[in-house]
Amino acid sequence: MTLRRRLIPYLFLAPALVLLAIFVVYPIIAVVGYSFTDYDIVRPPVFVGLANYEKLVDDPTFWLSIQHSLVYLLVTPILIVLSIGLAIVVNRAMRGIHIFRALYFVPAVSGSIAIGLAWTWLFDRNGFINSVLLSWGLIHTPIQWLANPSMVLPIAMLLTIWAGVGYYSVIFLAGLQNIPEELYDAARIDGCNSFQKHRYVSIPGLRPQITFVAVISSLAALKVFDEIYVLTGRTGGILDSGVTIVFYLWKQAFVLSHAGYASAIAMALLAMTLVFSIVNVRFLERGDAEA
Amino acid sequence: MTSRKLLAGALATVVLAGACSSAAATPTPAPTTAPTAAPTTAPSTEPASQRASEAPSTAASETPASPTPLAPDPAEAVIPNVEQGAEIHFWTFYLSPTFDQYLKDTIARFEATYPGVKVDWEDHQATFKDDLNNAFNAGSAPDVINLSVSEGWVSEYAGKGLLLPLDDKVPDAVKNIYFPGLWKEQLVNGVNYQFPWYQGLNVDLLNKALFTKANVDPASFPKTIDGIPALCDTFAKAGSLCTIRLTMSDLLAQMVYEGNVKVLSDDGKKFTFDSPEGVAWLQMYVDMVKANSVDQTVLTTTDDRVGLNAFIAGGSPFYATGPNLARQVKDQNATLYGNLGMVQQPIGKSNVSGKGLMSISVKKDTKYPNASLALAQFFTNPRSMVEFSKQVAIYPSSPSAYDDPFFSSTPATIEDSARPLAKDIISTYADIVPTVPSKADVNEIVSKAVQSAIFGGVDAQKALSDAVDQANKLIK
Repeated sequence: MTLRRRLIPYLFLAPALVLLAIFVVYPIIAVVGYSFTDYDIVRPPVFVGLANYEKLVDDPTFWLSIQHSLVYLLVTPILIVLSIGLAIVVNRAMRGIHIFRALYFVPAVSGSIAIGLAWTWLFDRNGFINSVLLSWGLIHTPIQWLANPSMVLPIAMLLTIWAGVGYYSVIFLAGLQNIPEELYDAARIDGCNSFQKHRYVSIPGLRPQITFVAVISSLAALKVFDEIYVLTGRTGGILDSGVTIVFYLWKQAFVLSHAGYASAIAMALLAMTLVFSIVNVRFLERGDAEA
Repeated sequence: MTSRKLLAGALATVVLAGACSSAAATPTPAPTTAPTAAPTTAPSTEPASQRASEAPSTAASETPASPTPLAPDPAEAVIPNVEQGAEIHFWTFYLSPTFDQYLKDTIARFEATYPGVKVDWEDHQATFKDDLNNAFNAGSAPDVINLSVSEGWVSEYAGKGLLLPLDDKVPDAVKNIYFPGLWKEQLVNGVNYQFPWYQGLNVDLLNKALFTKANVDPASFPKTIDGIPALCDTFAKAGSLCTIRLTMSDLLAQMVYEGNVKVLSDDGKKFTFDSPEGVAWLQMYVDMVKANSVDQTVLTTTDDRVGLNAFIAGGSPFYATGPNLARQVKDQNATLYGNLGMVQQPIGKSNVSGKGLMSISVKKDTKYPNASLALAQFFTNPRSMVEFSKQVAIYPSSPSAYDDPFFSSTPATIEDSARPLAKDIISTYADIVPTVPSKADVNEIVSKAVQSAIFGGVDAQKALSDAVDQANKLIK
């Protein structure tokens, strides 16, 4: 093989590699470097060794943010179950099904900030939820939902589920449509009822999609930011009740101007997501092999 | 079948387009700026980008009429030795597009007054602070910068050694045109780094219909902060909650103005905000939340728009803001505008009614210090300020500006009703908050302490004492 022929593939790859190097590799390396510095963005960074990591260990808000992010992972199984259910419901020929599919996909194409604002209004003291509860006589005074520390995270999780279920169900719908109809026929002949049909045919057939959704939705849950930012009005909630790890990273970097410390938090997040992704994929692959 | 699919596809497109357009039309908080903070007289100290009332503009649609530009006047050239051929960069905060014409006219007049100097103006908005930080980092910061005094940006950047000290560079005759309290505010180690620019007034907008419903006379609105809790109790019994705010981004300033709390020892080596005055200040808010007489979301929001929207919706009896925001009430709730009242905000125990709003500073390492000083001074001189005040309800930083008949004319609208009182109010403005070391971190500590007392059931004294212990560790 001539040198020229060997170089050609790399030339085709070069544009993508250059962009990757500038926008991914360099920032990661820079964040690693900044995590060992005291850096306020305005003035040059000052090397502080492991001080930022030592501070992380003793920072109760950091641990609280990790706890909140782990709690947020509960959205993943809920999303998977609801999305599969919705995909099964719409995976049939019925009048107006295309409109229905488009409607439940609307949150996926709407801006997260717009959705967050709409939900803020829903849960406002004078908002829709309180109006309904008051009109039904279920409450006598409006509830201050987002001022209640125990409600912030559940409302944000509910928002994530509502916004994500349409998108993920399209993935599952595509998966369902790839399952050969003969398998369902065979299941029927074997005496499966409707539930068993999905339990023994649809779910195993959707395993690749479940793996995919589990990984990307759990990573998205670990990195949740927009919902918290909007619902809590950039505060993270009363008593840090909605502070997740990415929100805390943002707050340290851009509110408190501790970009060095924020970089250390980013490294912790990187480690978490890496470990989580590997475990997630391995676990699901093992299940795949056993199936 | 094909036609049905096409029809369904078209409908889906319409639905999606509708969803997208409605999302785009979602009214995002218009970051503006105002002279208000919390329930009382405490000056605004939260990020200006998050305050509805601080910016002089009220809405982009309210582009002011463009009067004939002022003619250049050589008497305005008060800074000597301006560098010939200087090209200076000037950044403003949230003034475009509403005041483009005013700014361009003023720059043209400046260039005619100081021939040989060119000005390159840019307006930055929601990302102002990030842009400025990045520009300082990259060594490309503008020569002349519009900074918020109320937010503490002047002391922040001056404390980092990035701004030009003015005291020995500006002639005394020029210094003396400004209100002394405004010239001396936001000193860093006793040195001034800013020309005071446009000012705001701290007022409370009143929903007189709710006052009538609660059988409260608007004329009896408290003159001091002590009267607020009782008033909120009265309104709570009548079914409406008060929308008052803690200045979450600068709670120490609020403690100082409202509670007359001494936050730092004289030698600057110890925090002292856990004093009886500090505890009494915090306990006032704890008691109001316990009494369920305040909207808790508004109380802790960092976004003025949240409180303003609640007031405009008609469910709140009063709201502390800037007088210019009455126009938003007019635009969004005409019924409320018809019932609108406006009073001066209650004064805190410090007896200081507020501090300045906006300023103009010069970066320390500018190539053209005199030209930059000249531009900063030119925008803040009485002539430029009067012209600006005629376009929007903001107020000059110089006593002589108020000699213009405009300030003694009878206001035609409620939003201008405070104009005749403006000079007396602004002449009392002063920054009485000491320079706090590691301010953002200390505020974070205080914020957690305040929230733990108000919402977490922690004793106010213990919360503040623990916060003092933590904050003292930040003093080097």
